[in-house]
Amino acid sequence: MTTAALVIEAACLTLGPFSLRNLDLTLAAGEILVLLGPNGAGKSVCLEMIAGFHRPQSGRILIRGRDVTDLPPEQRRVGLVFQNFGLFPHLTVARNVAFGLRTRRLGHARAERAVVDLLRQFGIAHLAGRSPQHLSPGEKQRVALARALAARPDLFLFDEPFSALDARTREVLRDELKAFLREAGVPAVFVSHDQTDAALLADRVAVIDHGALRQVGTVASVFRKPANYFVAAFIGVENILAGRLLPRLGAMSRIRVADAVLHAAGADDAAGDVLLSIPAEEIGLRPIDGLDALGLCSSTNRIAGRVSEVRSMGALVRVTVDCGFALVACFTPREARALGLSPGQAVVAEVEADAIHILRDQVNCR
Amino acid sequence: MAERLRRARGSGVVLTCWLVGSVLLAFIVVPLLGLAAVQPVRNLVRVAAMPDVRLAIWLSLLAAFLTAGCAAILGVPLAYVLARGTFGGRDVVAAIVDLPLAVPHTVAGIALLIVLGRQGPIGGPIGEVLGLRFWGTLAGVVAGMLFVSAPYAVNAAQIGFEAVDPRLEKVARTLGMGPWGVLLHVTLPLAWPGIMTGLTLTYARAISEFAAVAILAYYPMTAPVKIYEMFLQFGLEDASAMALLMLLVTLALFILFRGLARRRARFAGAGR
Repeated sequence: MTTAALVIEAACLTLGPFSLRNLDLTLAAGEILVLLGPNGAGKSVCLEMIAGFHRPQSGRILIRGRDVTDLPPEQRRVGLVFQNFGLFPHLTVARNVAFGLRTRRLGHARAERAVVDLLRQFGIAHLAGRSPQHLSPGEKQRVALARALAARPDLFLFDEPFSALDARTREVLRDELKAFLREAGVPAVFVSHDQTDAALLADRVAVIDHGALRQVGTVASVFRKPANYFVAAFIGVENILAGRLLPRLGAMSRIRVADAVLHAAGADDAAGDVLLSIPAEEIGLRPIDGLDALGLCSSTNRIAGRVSEVRSMGALVRVTVDCGFALVACFTPREARALGLSPGQAVVAEVEADAIHILRDQVNCR
Repeated sequence: MAERLRRARGSGVVLTCWLVGSVLLAFIVVPLLGLAAVQPVRNLVRVAAMPDVRLAIWLSLLAAFLTAGCAAILGVPLAYVLARGTFGGRDVVAAIVDLPLAVPHTVAGIALLIVLGRQGPIGGPIGEVLGLRFWGTLAGVVAGMLFVSAPYAVNAAQIGFEAVDPRLEKVARTLGMGPWGVLLHVTLPLAWPGIMTGLTLTYARAISEFAAVAILAYYPMTAPVKIYEMFLQFGLEDASAMALLMLLVTLALFILFRGLARRRARFAGAGR
């Protein structure tokens, strides 16, 4: 078994009114974890705790099997990249990169050569003598990565490096970063409040809120099966419905929502009020033709309703259907045109049973 | 930014501000020009040739330089603590730093004399142990200057430190540098423009100090004290000649410092 890149064991940290509570997190070798949460959730505090700027009051932190709980940041071997990339404005690009070599105590000549090699590797050799202030975001990112890599970190930490960038630049830099991390094979924790970062960068996602982890899992599992109301709402699941569990039917759970009964994959023996999450993109619509059997047909839920709103969101069209409860579906403009949807139209909404997910928390936490 | 400036330059707001501001500029420049205008060059040369006049100006320059040095050594750490510290009583410390600005400088001189004098609670032991005396010595001149000028050093350096992004210091730590290394290689270079501004102001304030210095160390005479003495002994003509001489030396130094600070600031990349 290979050593985990990072293990956080039951870490508790109180900083003024804020506290991280009993944080447990493991990162496999070479894995990219995106720590996702709203502003003030404790993402950055968590990252700075890993980097060594805050010492947990209890619990342990191990980086590649090394207990670093009591070590200062300079001995933890982590590479930290901040928003705007945190380049030293008083040093040239080459001196910035050389900064990361200091600890390796190479001789002067070897250090010079290492800097040149790194600059070349990142395709920024032509910027060596420039001041970082006038670099493009892409160039800044490369300098920051080269500088961090120079110190040979065991773990990369990113604190929202893209949050001040426009959408297009962000996309380009994200791809570049992903390619770099794959190639370098250095594990990374990436803090963000943007689900797109999580979806595109992460091997696994950890959702944090009020200093506690609310769900940790693969991108697919978190996005398709959010564990609770907070996660579902934060990642932007459009349909979070309140319902009541009915006695199950074979391997299916049955939930009454308003007048309809929905079937969800997976038996659930719990009873009472629950919340369901259904991503809008999992809902299909078609005009009602009178011959339709409603209810459950070979693992597909069919619910009759009327279109109440059709709203264009640019690349997507958002359609709200009144089924006794509001159900939101998303289509590409092309699909929407083919369906010819308009308000007042009677439709059948179709949802696969395994796209309906029962949230594991109390209805009243809503 | 440049675009906005260009647009603003043509507007009435800037024009009005210029008009009002030039009143103040004139208020500063006219008396000094007046000083120069009434002065025959022959007189200036005669006074400049007096050894005690030259000695006094030298002493002023030297003492102010030493004062700026003391302010740098003692004031910059205090500025760092004020900029970074989150300790209770921070406001009290900041108020204490500013206090000399509000104390009449005669009062400052008398207070220093009481404490630093030969029988004073600080002056006594220091005199015995280090042989350093303040009454009527260069050390006394520096003490008087430091008391009244230190706030400028601390305040400007504090602003310099506050402008340094703490995240840069954090990055440096993760790159393997200890806290002292970070202070030396990241924080100080980035705060340098602020520190230099502070030291320039300190130097300027120190060189102009009269009252505190005159009470604590009338002798050896600094330029302001010497000018006062010349005024009492020989009248306005000689005193104003020396005053002009002093003014020219100070002005030249000031322009030099500003230029140095600006070059250094550009180098340090203050335009973060």
